[in-house]
Amino acid sequence: MAKLKRERSRETNIPSGSMSDIAFLLLLFFMVSTVFVQEKQFWVERDRWPIAESIERIPRNHTTTIYVMRDETILIDDVPTRIDSAEDTFVFSTLVRKREDDPEIVVCFRTDRDTMYGVMSDVMRQLQDANTLVVAFETQQRRD
Amino acid sequence: MKIGRKRKGKAEIPTSSMSDIAFLLIIFFMATTKFDVKEGIRIVLPQAAAEDTQQAQTLTLTEKEMTRMQITADGMIVVNNEAPRTFESAELDALIQQKLKVNTEMIFKVITDRQAKYNDMIRVVDRLKAAKIEKISLSTN
Repeated sequence: MAKLKRERSRETNIPSGSMSDIAFLLLLFFMVSTVFVQEKQFWVERDRWPIAESIERIPRNHTTTIYVMRDETILIDDVPTRIDSAEDTFVFSTLVRKREDDPEIVVCFRTDRDTMYGVMSDVMRQLQDANTLVVAFETQQRRD
Repeated sequence: MKIGRKRKGKAEIPTSSMSDIAFLLIIFFMATTKFDVKEGIRIVLPQAAAEDTQQAQTLTLTEKEMTRMQITADGMIVVNNEAPRTFESAELDALIQQKLKVNTEMIFKVITDRQAKYNDMIRVVDRLKAAKIEKISLSTN
């Protein structure tokens, strides 16, 4: 009678020595790329931005962001303001100062898509007066 | 007298839980990370008109040189002196191409009503940018 050979169970090992290296690399990546976004009282959610197709990436350096809410409140440097008359020149004075600090400044608008254009026009007039001429209207990418 | 030699104890820092800690931190950062990328339509505004009226120039442009696109409060578009109507994106593209056939250096002036929605202006500027037009003027009435 043939003798049945009993299969020896081999011990399989998954090398896990480099696991912590991988973990720390991933950790470093997330730590470096994380931007803590604090939800503010005045805020324009991304899904309220207009949708466009021909958009371009705007390098983060040299940018400053102006939020324009549907109720025509303008937020610049975390300070809410409004432009109700010609005397309301907070946007102008802030941008003059910012342009002195960085002559290549790009002003990014995060505006609610249902905002009346009049307030945008007023803000852009003050940008022109402050000689900050490069602007970017932040939009969502159209995905069809 | 015999001096006893001290035995050196092997000092070890337990590192077995290091990867657990690292993975916990990764999960935390993965959950809280928001990639805040800035993307949008870039425009260069013209310089503010000089107060000195002698420096200011008045240019008269014909329809062959400039197309006026007036956005009304209800989102309709008046092209030059035509009747106001709504334009789908494809219709806007066709109109822009038609104007470019007349003049490849055509200037597009987008005049947006103060009561019009910002989204309506962006929609028009987006189609102009998609057609690689750089000479875009923004104004209001």
